[in-house]
Amino acid sequence: MSTLELPSYLDQTPEVAARFSRLRERPVALEVRGLTKRFETPRGVVTALDDVSFSVHKRELMCVIGPSGCGKSTLVRILAGLETPTSGEVLVGGTAVSGPGPDCGMVFQGYTLFPWLSVKENVMFGPKMAGKSSFTAESEAREWIDLVGLSRFENAYPHQLSGGMKQRVAIARALANQPRVLFMDEPFGALDAQTRCNMQSYLLEIWKNVDITIVFITHDLDEAVYLSDRILVLDANPGRVREIVEVPVPRPRSESQLFDPSFMATRKHIDELMHPPGQEQKDTPVMRLAVSNPDVV
Amino acid sequence: MPRPGILRDWFLIRRDLPQSRALLLTAVSFLMPLALWCVVSYVPWIWHPDVRIEISAEREGVTTVFTAGDHVSKGFFPEFVRAVRDENAAVTKARSEGTAVTGARRKNQKILRQIAPVAVGNGWIDYRDTQNDAALYQTWRDLATGAKVSSEPRLTEENLGIIRANWAALSALSPEFVFRKLPDEPLLKLVPQGRPANPVYLPEPDDVLRTGFRDFTASAPEGELTMLQRYGASLRVIFLGFFWACLIGIPLGILCGVFDFFSKLIEPFVDFFRYMPAPTFSTLLVAVLLAGEAPKVALVFIGTVFQMVLVISKTTRLLDPSLLEAAQTLGAKPRQLLKSVVIPGILPNLYNDLRILLGWAWTWLVIAELIGVKSGLTEFIETQGRFRNFDRVFPVIILIGVTGFVMDQVLSWLHGLLFPWSGKSSALSRSIAAAFTWPFRTGARAIRNRLAAVEAARIAATREPSP
Ligand SMILES: Nc1ncnc2c1ncn2[C@@H]1O[C@H](COP(=O)(O)OP(=O)(O)OP(=O)(O)O)[C@@H](O)[C@H]1O
Ligand SMILES: [Mg+2]
Repeated sequence: MSTLELPSYLDQTPEVAARFSRLRERPVALEVRGLTKRFETPRGVVTALDDVSFSVHKRELMCVIGPSGCGKSTLVRILAGLETPTSGEVLVGGTAVSGPGPDCGMVFQGYTLFPWLSVKENVMFGPKMAGKSSFTAESEAREWIDLVGLSRFENAYPHQLSGGMKQRVAIARALANQPRVLFMDEPFGALDAQTRCNMQSYLLEIWKNVDITIVFITHDLDEAVYLSDRILVLDANPGRVREIVEVPVPRPRSESQLFDPSFMATRKHIDELMHPPGQEQKDTPVMRLAVSNPDVV
Repeated sequence: MPRPGILRDWFLIRRDLPQSRALLLTAVSFLMPLALWCVVSYVPWIWHPDVRIEISAEREGVTTVFTAGDHVSKGFFPEFVRAVRDENAAVTKARSEGTAVTGARRKNQKILRQIAPVAVGNGWIDYRDTQNDAALYQTWRDLATGAKVSSEPRLTEENLGIIRANWAALSALSPEFVFRKLPDEPLLKLVPQGRPANPVYLPEPDDVLRTGFRDFTASAPEGELTMLQRYGASLRVIFLGFFWACLIGIPLGILCGVFDFFSKLIEPFVDFFRYMPAPTFSTLLVAVLLAGEAPKVALVFIGTVFQMVLVISKTTRLLDPSLLEAAQTLGAKPRQLLKSVVIPGILPNLYNDLRILLGWAWTWLVIAELIGVKSGLTEFIETQGRFRNFDRVFPVIILIGVTGFVMDQVLSWLHGLLFPWSGKSSALSRSIAAAFTWPFRTGARAIRNRLAAVEAARIAATREPSP
């Protein structure tokens, strides 16, 4: 691959550049200012996040990528109000987040559908909590289920669904609440490669049809480049913003773009950000096994 | 080498057997102990250290009296038989020498009654009629003339001979029973008969069945309860105690599991209290609540409720916290979390907890029925056990076991029916559940459709004027 001449990831075609300038003009949906999170552990203080600041515009799809343990989950949990930061603040639509609520939707990595509710009832959960009548909630839920293509399963229980289907229901359930921002913490992490590919296309399809801002956590490079407008690269120990990369791959995206020069250039750049050359060797633990030479005569 | 078929089919590490095999093994698990009981009871050369007396005799000058049904040791029985034979020989000798004692009418009446167990055993007279001399007199006649032949027990030739000899003496004086017309000289005694038997504490299965059937169908003596009434009383105590325990224990347990406040406030004391065995409170309970049902119910309650709080709070804490977080991001307020997530989420595990606790409640029941005025099935077990009537005790013990087992099986089957979403119910129980709930579901759907129509009309009405 190194022999291949790649363009710079900064090169944007005029259409893409225009798209980004339009995006920057949109109002800010999520603003993060100086977010720091420290955990008090028996073995001392762990700084999971250190002074993280960024903002996401309305209708943007941003991916957060970083090595394992760099604080991605911690970040998204703070954004969704499930954890309180040590310092800094999170603004959603201009108001500070003080706790979990219907403004911030969340799709978790594990399956968190309510097992005692059918698919339809799971999707109805948010609207019903908001005080909508069963009738309204049900007709709304039908539309969302339709959107994720699970109408045939609306009366099935979660234990009867496959992993991919469960995550689709979880997405529908989060969307039915019409949150300002949707946070997704490695939602496809537990799926096999093929299903994950399909789910990514599904997500883009849904995102195209629904007015929603998405912050998507992943540790998969291809997934990040394929999905996002911009990619936030996190450093590990402590978690800091390394760089926010604008993805020059034009939309609409398709799987054939996986081998576009712009795609590969972006991918390579982020790979280098995450694994700086030279450092790689030191970080990787090498296992040496004491093996005697094979008896080859 | 391939594993032989039987190993391959029946012995698989950590793998479930097919349903038919599982069912077969379940049946065998019950049949095995039953078969063992039968073998020990009915194969005469296995164990049988005793002799059960079928025909007994009173001896001259010996105060210990054995009646039919009593057990004596194998070693003692021949001695007993020999002693009676010697007495008979003495009577015959005296008779032939003309020196027979007179004034033996009372004793002869007793000899007459020796035949009673035979008459009862063959069903010729009722078991309460063992002193009906007129009927017994007929029995002597019938046996002597051969009109009746005893099969239960089979009489020895020796005893048949004695019966004929005695009947000759009896019939010479009167064909019917008249006390004053009994012979004045002593009759011959029937020689004791018996058969090998196990100790009294291991009655035979058919004995247990028969006495069980008799006890449970009999009408009660004056002022006492029938067995079914006793059974009802026991069930009442256990259910009342368990009901109160649930009423207090379930809400407290859930509160402790949800709010650390209640957990820290309540659980330490509950944890301490449950180590004090409930029966130690029995005298206190009787003093406070007086005799009757109340202290018994209270004992079952105390025995159950403390465990219940702890078990349920633990179950509540085991609920996947990410479900709570998911609900919060969907906008659920604390009260809604409790009602729409915590309670439905823990329900299947809570149900299983209650099943196990109900099993424990049965243990407390037995103790509860012994405090204050003894009552229920346990009182019966106590009384009969004291008289060593173990053939009457066993049916009651088995009844308690069967009740507990059947109840638990039904409840476990209902689990699949009540919680189809836990994915543990079989297709059969699901379809039965669907049939059961059909009217409710249809009704609910009709109401929902009606409401929906109303709402749709309202929405249409609000929209109409705008364009
Ligand atoms: N509750 C906690 N208490 C103490 N330390 C914590 C806690 N939660 C997270 N951490 C620490 O914070 C750091 C970031 O964790 P986090 O789960 O956010 O990583 P991540 O980027 O999501 O990793 P992964 O990709 O494996 O999911 C880790 O070093 C972890 O040990
Ligand atoms: Mg994580």
